[in-house]
Amino acid sequence: MADKQETSPQMKAGASQARRNSLLARRALHALGNFRGIAALAAVLLLGVIFSPRSGATGKLMFLTSRLHSDTLFENAEYGILAVGMTLVILTGGIDLSVGSVLGFAATLSSLLMIAYGWAPVPAIAVTVMAGALAGSINGFLISRFRVQPFVATLAMMVAARGAAKWISGGIKVQPGARETYVLQGDSPHFYTWMTSKVGGIGLEPATLLFIISIIVMLLVVRYTGFGRRLYAVGGNEEAARLSGIRVASVKIAAYVLCGITAALAGVSNAARLQLGDPEAGFTYELDAIAAVVIGGTSLVGGQGGMFFTLVGTLIIGYVNKILSINAVAEHFRLLAKGGIIVLAVLIQQRKKT
Amino acid sequence: MRKASTCISLVIVLVMCVAGCARQAGKAKSARTSSRRNNNQCAYVIGMSQCNRGEPWRVQMDADIGAAASKHPELKVLFKDAQNNTATQQAQVREFVAQGVNLIIISPKEALPLTKPVTEAVAAGIPVIVLDRKVQGDKYTCFIGADNVLIGRKAGEYLVKVLHGKGKVVELKGLMTSTPGQERHKGFMQGIKGSDLEIIFDADCHWLEPDAQCEMQSALARFPQIDAVYGHNDPSAHGAWVAAKREGEGREKTIKFIGIDSLPREGIRYVRDGILSATFEYPTGGKQAIDVALKILRGREAPKNITLGTRIFTNGNVDKGGEVL
Repeated sequence: MADKQETSPQMKAGASQARRNSLLARRALHALGNFRGIAALAAVLLLGVIFSPRSGATGKLMFLTSRLHSDTLFENAEYGILAVGMTLVILTGGIDLSVGSVLGFAATLSSLLMIAYGWAPVPAIAVTVMAGALAGSINGFLISRFRVQPFVATLAMMVAARGAAKWISGGIKVQPGARETYVLQGDSPHFYTWMTSKVGGIGLEPATLLFIISIIVMLLVVRYTGFGRRLYAVGGNEEAARLSGIRVASVKIAAYVLCGITAALAGVSNAARLQLGDPEAGFTYELDAIAAVVIGGTSLVGGQGGMFFTLVGTLIIGYVNKILSINAVAEHFRLLAKGGIIVLAVLIQQRKKT
Repeated sequence: MRKASTCISLVIVLVMCVAGCARQAGKAKSARTSSRRNNNQCAYVIGMSQCNRGEPWRVQMDADIGAAASKHPELKVLFKDAQNNTATQQAQVREFVAQGVNLIIISPKEALPLTKPVTEAVAAGIPVIVLDRKVQGDKYTCFIGADNVLIGRKAGEYLVKVLHGKGKVVELKGLMTSTPGQERHKGFMQGIKGSDLEIIFDADCHWLEPDAQCEMQSALARFPQIDAVYGHNDPSAHGAWVAAKREGEGREKTIKFIGIDSLPREGIRYVRDGILSATFEYPTGGKQAIDVALKILRGREAPKNITLGTRIFTNGNVDKGGEVL
């Protein structure tokens, strides 16, 4: 007893020191919170370097060449563009299952306009983007005006848009010469080649740039505009948002329209990448887009997360796929490793809820 | 405002439904009248149950059957699509039996669940020709199918020939849990056995062109020398070509790309355009099915099993309809 009394002041000091330490640690962790996603990405990149094969031509580690990184960005641009729109919808507490099908419809429609009817790229893309916006507005309208669950409304659109893609294409891949009536019979449109060839001086393709630009624009919109703040408000607490005078329905419709537009843009990139419009394109891509958003750290509940997280999530998935691909890993190990790495990435970036 | 928008959208939906129904009704009507007209002349009605018209190759099979049957005015073929649903396909076979068609052609989705309906049809005295995939046992009239191992082997032998027995090959596989994928790989390995052809890179591309394109990008980045790409289907080979072209070093011209299936609008066109060096036909058996059907219906003997050969299409012979291997 005497001992305890004697040591008591020291213990107190020690305890307060420990408390201060833990407070500091918690503050540091909190500050680090935003960077945890980057930590997870860094871990993936490190794995990439460790397991990188050497290039057969130069003997350099492939993972340290710029080509591998531009290839990875290019291959994942479509998922990234989809994920940008998906983030907006998920921030409002919704979900959009129709993006893969809308992508397929947009790929088919833009190819039809350019290949079958010989339209110039600009009007063809404008019409395609409008079609994407229309699909998104139908989703938004059903959800906000008719109170259909987002899962159900967009599931219906997922089925319908796939049907529309098959209908307008007659069920075949739209490519030059696929039918005698098509205007283009020989080469694919120049636009496709331009979209997928590196722009001089930058070393990136317009398809990749479209992804980067759309994510930067939306990052600024979400962070610094009233619309961005309203997205969080609606997703965080819809009733509170309504009571504070936010027109919840318009915010939701806008989010779904933007998501439809990004799906249409991803469809145009898909057609350019494959040099044809495949009515089956984008099948199950909605899952990849949702995965990118969630792995980044945006909450499916809504109101938490952001566009930067989505960029990180897209890159994590993209690099994991690339690492497995350049090492020609067998399919079964690929799927196992992918599952494992995704869980690992989520665990690293998961923020403590305090 | 809200009421108005609700009304407007309801009206739009209604108009679309009515328009759709009217169109369908029109189609159905014309189909009925034409079938009545045909039935007067038709000696034989054949029921054809296709497992999934969502696949281009199966659309081609139906087209081949239709083209072959159109040359015989005494034949009428009723096409049905099971839309990748086994239960639907079982029902279709039973419907054909109930309807009393003269002969059934079926390209089954799965062997086991369709064995019983086929057996019942044969027991009811209706001959059944099974296409592409087998049913279990021997209670069918004739099976017609292609040999993926043979096609893979011919593809391997072709590459050995054009590369003079030595070279580095990228293999872009089909879904490797499916039998065609496994057999096309097995046959290819038999074909290149004993040569100095080496597979330096391979990946499961699930028959999908986007996957093949990504895998080829990895292969191109890793290997400075690639002599040939073997795609388990034509879209995979095409995807690989697009990747090589995009690389911008002219490798799409030096690498030999070969694929399998030879659909007129895919592989054969790619060969004609100089994209693929060769494509190997995976025959649908549609034409042969009609030949055999005529034999059976006229009471002549037909073989129990027919294994189809393959044809190769190259730039030199594509306009002559390929070359039988």
